[in-house]
Amino acid sequence: MKTIGKIALGIIAAIGGFLDIGDLVFNTQAGATFRFDLLWAVVLGTIGIAVYAEMCGRVAAVSGRPVFDVIRMRLGFSTGLVALVASTFVNLLTVGAELGGLALILELLFDTTYSMFVILAFFLLIVIVAGLPFGGLERLFGYGGLLLFVFVATAIHQEPDWTAVGNGFIPSIKWDPTYLYFVVGVFSAALMPYEVHFYSSGAIEERWTKRNLKENRLNAMFGYGIGGILACALIVVSGQLFHPLGVDPTDLGTVALPAQDAFGETGLLLALGGMLFAIGGATIDSSFAGAYNVAQFLGWEWGRYRGPRKAPRFTIAWLLFLALGVVLAESGINPVDITEYSVVFSVVALPFTYLPLILIARDRTFMGEHANGRLASVLGWGYFAVIIVLAIAAIPLLLATNGGGG
Amino acid sequence: MPLPRARLLTGAATALVAAALATGCGDLSRGELQRGVQSLSALAAQGRLLADGVARDRTKKTYARVMSRTLGAAAQHEAEKLADATPASDAQRERDRAVDLAGELSELYGRLQTFAGDEHVGREVGAGMRRVQAKADALDESLGARP
Repeated sequence: MKTIGKIALGIIAAIGGFLDIGDLVFNTQAGATFRFDLLWAVVLGTIGIAVYAEMCGRVAAVSGRPVFDVIRMRLGFSTGLVALVASTFVNLLTVGAELGGLALILELLFDTTYSMFVILAFFLLIVIVAGLPFGGLERLFGYGGLLLFVFVATAIHQEPDWTAVGNGFIPSIKWDPTYLYFVVGVFSAALMPYEVHFYSSGAIEERWTKRNLKENRLNAMFGYGIGGILACALIVVSGQLFHPLGVDPTDLGTVALPAQDAFGETGLLLALGGMLFAIGGATIDSSFAGAYNVAQFLGWEWGRYRGPRKAPRFTIAWLLFLALGVVLAESGINPVDITEYSVVFSVVALPFTYLPLILIARDRTFMGEHANGRLASVLGWGYFAVIIVLAIAAIPLLLATNGGGG
Repeated sequence: MPLPRARLLTGAATALVAAALATGCGDLSRGELQRGVQSLSALAAQGRLLADGVARDRTKKTYARVMSRTLGAAAQHEAEKLADATPASDAQRERDRAVDLAGELSELYGRLQTFAGDEHVGREVGAGMRRVQAKADALDESLGARP
């Protein structure tokens, strides 16, 4: 029972981080456009984030150093600063997109102006973070996000052609720019770096040691595995309902339509509720990840457990991230568009943080007996190669397809 | 050599302004028009699902209302974009039909937004959305048939 409770850290990172506005948008659009053909890209991304998170959690537990501490140590100040700037830019876009997404969901539930809900969401998140301990935040958003299982129930209810669904898990490449753009999008949405930065810092917040390594592995497998199942369900329900009708889901509210189609108002409310918790959790994760990165890189006192008095610059940085997210969400740009940019740019920035981590994780002088074994090395470097290819292809594909619009 | 440089700059600026103005007027090719028509078909398809939810009393009123407002605005925007553009000479008639369809779509969404809890209106709007989608698909096909 205690072990199950401890897996909560992985679950919040998975539901509130893995399944964020980026996953909701990209997977639904991928299903509507290519039916089940991109399910394999979700699996690829899910294994990728599990590998990355396991390494980050292991390094944090063994050395007590989170990601950006390691980056500065390994890359030095100047090169490390490039990684920090790139990550901070992507984090800001993500916070803006998530806050905007939160406001859109609240608008769908209560029909009051979007702008007002952005401000309300900002203050609500501050109150929740101020009032709840780290574990409480995990439980609130992680378990609330489980409402998204309504999409798994919807997929079963729709009775799709399961052979066709199964075929979607077989990797296939089509030399169609839109298809390739969605491969990048679905993979990157699964492997958003802020999720792992939050996870690694969370491990230190929870004072992990070598004794937590088993828990770390379970979190990475089960937490992100659950996120992967939900992401697959989004593709299946969208491929089953939207693809034959020719729906192009460009609005966040459309994501909930399949649940309504299957289970009526109850399904709709479960879907919107799940999205609210998942996006709310992701807003907290991404804003915290931004503050963690800056504080760790610059050597400030940091940590939710220290409180605002003992870590004032960290607390100000977190509030600043949220406030800049409000500015972005209120800028008039559709949160779905901000999401697409944040997802695509995240894979471009990813090698800067992934490489130093894998170098540290394999370093026996630093990690001792807990350095990468053969499997972790093969997976780690294999994913590094995939990330490099996608990072190079991402921006040309974004431009060539007009953001997937063709 | 200040004068030639100034002329060069003026020339470049004029060309840029001309290009911007030309873009603003919108030279609408058949391909671009076809993409616009496909967007209308997609919007009508979403409208069908939304209206079906209202017709069967299987949705939440605020959700149906906000979605109708958002998608109706998208249809209106598409209508304005198509109306402002200058179509290729062989696409004038199709452009006008597309603008009419976008207007029809916008009206249907407007009705659904106003009567988001009315099952009868939901049924009527659902049927209207199906008609608009069928017309948009036919128009899409005719645009694709001719190079």
